[in-house]
Amino acid sequence: MSTVLVANRGEIACRILRACNEAGYASIAIYAENDANSLFLELATRSIKLEGESIADTYLNQQQILKIAKEYGADAIHPGFGFLSERADFAQAVIESGLIWIGPSPRAIKRMGDKMTARTTMKAAGVPVIPGEEIEQEDENEALIAIKDASRRVGFPLLLKASSGGGGKGMRVVNSPDELEDAVSGARREAIAAFGDGRVYVERLLTGSKHVEIQILADKHGRVIHLGERECSVQRRHQKVFEEAPCPTMTPELRERMGKAAILAAQAVDYEGAGTVEFLLASNGEFFFLEMNTRIQVEHPVTEMVTGVDIVREQLRIAEGEPMSCGELNMRGHSIEVRLYAEDAANNFLPAIGPLVVFKPPVGPGVRLDTGVREGDEVTPNYDPMLAKLVVWAPTRKEALQRMRRALDEFVVLGTTTNIRFLRELCDQEDVVNGTTDTTLIERVWPNGWSPEIPDSLAEAALMIAGISEGSGKHRKSNSSTDSADNGPISPFSTISRRFP
Amino acid sequence: MQYEFRIDGETVEVTLAKNGDLWTLSENNASILPDGRIRLESKEGTTFFAHSAKVKDTWWIHIGGHTFCIDHVEPGAAEDDEGSGLSAPMPGKVLQVLVEVGQKVEPGQPLMILEAMKMEHRIIASQEGTVSAINFSEGDQVQQGSALLELSL
Repeated sequence: MSTVLVANRGEIACRILRACNEAGYASIAIYAENDANSLFLELATRSIKLEGESIADTYLNQQQILKIAKEYGADAIHPGFGFLSERADFAQAVIESGLIWIGPSPRAIKRMGDKMTARTTMKAAGVPVIPGEEIEQEDENEALIAIKDASRRVGFPLLLKASSGGGGKGMRVVNSPDELEDAVSGARREAIAAFGDGRVYVERLLTGSKHVEIQILADKHGRVIHLGERECSVQRRHQKVFEEAPCPTMTPELRERMGKAAILAAQAVDYEGAGTVEFLLASNGEFFFLEMNTRIQVEHPVTEMVTGVDIVREQLRIAEGEPMSCGELNMRGHSIEVRLYAEDAANNFLPAIGPLVVFKPPVGPGVRLDTGVREGDEVTPNYDPMLAKLVVWAPTRKEALQRMRRALDEFVVLGTTTNIRFLRELCDQEDVVNGTTDTTLIERVWPNGWSPEIPDSLAEAALMIAGISEGSGKHRKSNSSTDSADNGPISPFSTISRRFP
Repeated sequence: MQYEFRIDGETVEVTLAKNGDLWTLSENNASILPDGRIRLESKEGTTFFAHSAKVKDTWWIHIGGHTFCIDHVEPGAAEDDEGSGLSAPMPGKVLQVLVEVGQKVEPGQPLMILEAMKMEHRIIASQEGTVSAINFSEGDQVQQGSALLELSL
């Protein structure tokens, strides 16, 4: 293996390209036209433009990506997460073209990617699954009848999940029978749009439980290990926002049991590479298999911080056929990650767009930033609104939280609405401080939505700053292209405000 | 010096005194640093280092871990009409139109479903009224701020 093509973009492409640079591999980045100035291209040995406009024509275009890989001499493909990372047919095509696929076998991806098949596989392997029922009917009306039937046995509240789902898409909470029909059609529609597969199944909604996942590594020499757990209970719209390792309520005995179950899950599909087995952990210590992610995960850095293992580097090593380099599991200190989204947390977490006129991440001891953007970039509606992952490490959980508060206070983003202040206030919530987080935390703490608590004196100071900025004329002006649709292109030199008659 | 700003829908008048390089408001003192940031010493004795940047008519201010969006009101600018139109919160595609022209709607009733960034967003009636216009149909692309529907109250 000498040249790795990274079939992804943004933050995770940066992460992988940096690992390639460190390991001495040449790298190829591929990009769509609207990414022509993106940060990840700067980290690759060379960058090749994808033809086409839509995501389907570019980052999801298997043929085109394989053609580029061959033409430019790549001998391995790293898919990152999202896009083609969990597409068994792509993994198969990569292998059939004589290239190395940096990930598990197509068969493992397929068995775990279809959530219903994964449930069945896990049940057979003796791993506990959430009470629920698979729905095999593909026809919308037949499926609805089967779901109604199943819902009576599973009980309410329940969760509808797309069999091909992920990232909260095609997922609906149903509290009562009269909501069921609407929820099924909504979930199916979203699932068809996102995955081209409308099958949804039914699980009991286990409220008050923790989302705990085990990081797995498996090499081609038969060694399968786990790197301990991450807790990712704090979610909004089924998307994680706050992740930590270790889980604050974990015991060595429970870690061993969950670790064993995760290894069993990996072995059931002859897993190779890095993967994550997700569980729901009930307050009584019972845990249930949720799903297995057959790829690198967004929140992998917290595990890296506490174990000292470079997971992406291990992926490269394993793909090359070498034994993994990690020894005994040795967790040290505490790590927390928060996801910075371009979104309006005060307005139902609606995604936001705009220019990153100022983007100043925090620095200092124990702070790591994984991002795909930099100052001057534009946040567009074309891709996921995640801007960065802010990760801290400290000797204890208490100090890690203190460090996260400090880092968030230092983080300056102007021009685009972000969730920074929401994350900052999250760090002060009693359950977060005590480590008693569960998946309902955000709805429980802010049942009517979140809005920032702003001291009056600070609002007054902000108005004063606005006045000085306006009065001095000493301000920066965005030369953004997307927000100027109604008044034509803005010259970076025209810093004088518009005047109205 | 006097400026008019709008913050959270409220119009505020700010009067600053300037003495050499020092700006004053109530007992807050501030000065501009060479890198463009503003150093502010509050009347409580706390020192802040604030960032500011202007995008169109909006000042983005970061101070003390908080970010503010403050609109500058140009002298003589007309106030926005208090419209009853429902606009697209972000660019996206219309997935479903759930109402018809002439239909009476209740507060909280979903009117339209948009898809943006692969997620569905419901456009919901904030008050009681009758749908007087629907400006887009299923499959249409909409820009941020596009008036999707109009209600007569």
